[in-house]
Amino acid sequence: MIKLQGVTKLYNANSVALRDVSINIGAGEFVSVIGQSGSGKTTLARLLIAEERPTKGDIHIGDWDLINITPNEIPYLRRQIGMIFQDYKLLSKKTIYENVAFALEVAGENNHRIRQVVPQLLEIVGLSKKYDRYPFQLSGGEQQRVAIARSLAHRPKIIVADEPTGNLDTINTEEIIQILKKINEFGTTVMLLTHNREVVNSLRRRVITLHGGEIVMDQSEGKYVL
Amino acid sequence: MVSFWRVLKFAFQDLGRNLGMSFMTVFILVLMLLSFNTLWSLEILTQKAVSTVKDQINVSIYFSSDAKDKEAEDVKSYLSGFPEVVQVDLRSRDEVLRLFRERHSLSTEVLQALEELGGNPFGPTVIVKTKEPGDYKKIVEALNAPEYANLIEAKSFDEHADAIDKIQNITNRIEGAGMGLTILFALISFLVIFNTVRVAISSQRFEIGIKRLVGASNWFIRGPYLVVSVVLTLISVGVAAIILKFALKWVDRYLSVVFSDGFSLTNYYNSHILYVFGVQILVVLILTVASSVLAMRRQLRV
Repeated sequence: MIKLQGVTKLYNANSVALRDVSINIGAGEFVSVIGQSGSGKTTLARLLIAEERPTKGDIHIGDWDLINITPNEIPYLRRQIGMIFQDYKLLSKKTIYENVAFALEVAGENNHRIRQVVPQLLEIVGLSKKYDRYPFQLSGGEQQRVAIARSLAHRPKIIVADEPTGNLDTINTEEIIQILKKINEFGTTVMLLTHNREVVNSLRRRVITLHGGEIVMDQSEGKYVL
Repeated sequence: MVSFWRVLKFAFQDLGRNLGMSFMTVFILVLMLLSFNTLWSLEILTQKAVSTVKDQINVSIYFSSDAKDKEAEDVKSYLSGFPEVVQVDLRSRDEVLRLFRERHSLSTEVLQALEELGGNPFGPTVIVKTKEPGDYKKIVEALNAPEYANLIEAKSFDEHADAIDKIQNITNRIEGAGMGLTILFALISFLVIFNTVRVAISSQRFEIGIKRLVGASNWFIRGPYLVVSVVLTLISVGVAAIILKFALKWVDRYLSVVFSDGFSLTNYYNSHILYVFGVQILVVLILTVASSVLAMRRQLRV
């Protein structure tokens, strides 16, 4: 599903974001990638959605070869990967319904299907009654749930969550992790990039540990050990 | 087709939900357009004033009293052949005498002196008008040829040569300064419009980034901004035209005192409406669209 082979990312000669990283993630896995700030987690996420190109190495996601992907193909790749960010990245001038619908509209889905799918997604994340609110009218946890609903709009096979609980309190963190676990139970591969010790320890799933841009540990049922 | 309607929908949604930014952009565009039209109007008025002054200049060629009307007629035909000549009028000997009598009808001494001379002491007169004041020298030189020199007693150009030279100089400078000012102002307008649109789009940098991340294609992102540019341009030109209409009506009241031939800026704008506003719409459109594309280029780069 996700395959990185000898991936190195240099921003300049003195700034190594990732060094010789090789990862294999199978379909349906729930993998936590942990590491301190600056360990290369976000660079890894950016490489997976082709927002950046590696300096060296190969990246494959499903049938996509991210080294040879053309700029025109990138939007299509991104429609197949659900991305969740620490700062939610919601469109502030659109309601939460419109935010979720936007992901479908850019893909050319017809209006009938959008009217059908968006309420279902908002129902899944428990926000169906707040469909006409703007992001600034919601709490952090609610905004993150909207971001999750949006990431599910294309029924992606992969969800990449970059510090999704970084701005949330314990209760909201727990809710978001439960939603991600549920998504994973339906067969979606989840890659969770985090430095939240409690979250990682409670999951009891595969843990990849990054340090200084290198993989220092890859445990099939790991704990946060840094 | 669905994408096209969605681009339109997003464009009008953006306009409505960013009213403050839309209003500011229109405000600056209208200010620029009004300033540009003011300069345009000044340019028209300068041209009109210069042509009015030029119109009032002519050269009279006075023939000697021995010259026959037929000979003056020949000179008139000769001068009419010059490309620089706009108009040539001939006054016969009798007409010159009649006009002289009319002009001095209240002066009995002058009329008595005329009677004492007996007969008609005047020769015919030819009045020449050229395109440019500088062209008169050429006409005068042509008339210095021996076959005409004996017939001609005097030319008014000889007395007015300095004044005509000065007028030519002044009008050339006014035209040059007007053109320079227009170019300078156009340049300033371009820069202001360019930066206004860039600032408006740069404030959307975060939103553009999000749209990219959820898989929107570059045209899907760019489209609404381009539509917004077109709509804001049309609104701005429309608002500027309405304000201009009232401003011109007000100015025309004063112009009717200055120009006796009924010249009015409103009439000028009405008769050139397609040209004046067509050019402005086109230029502002090119500027806003180009600014939008350039401002987004960096943010859409992968």
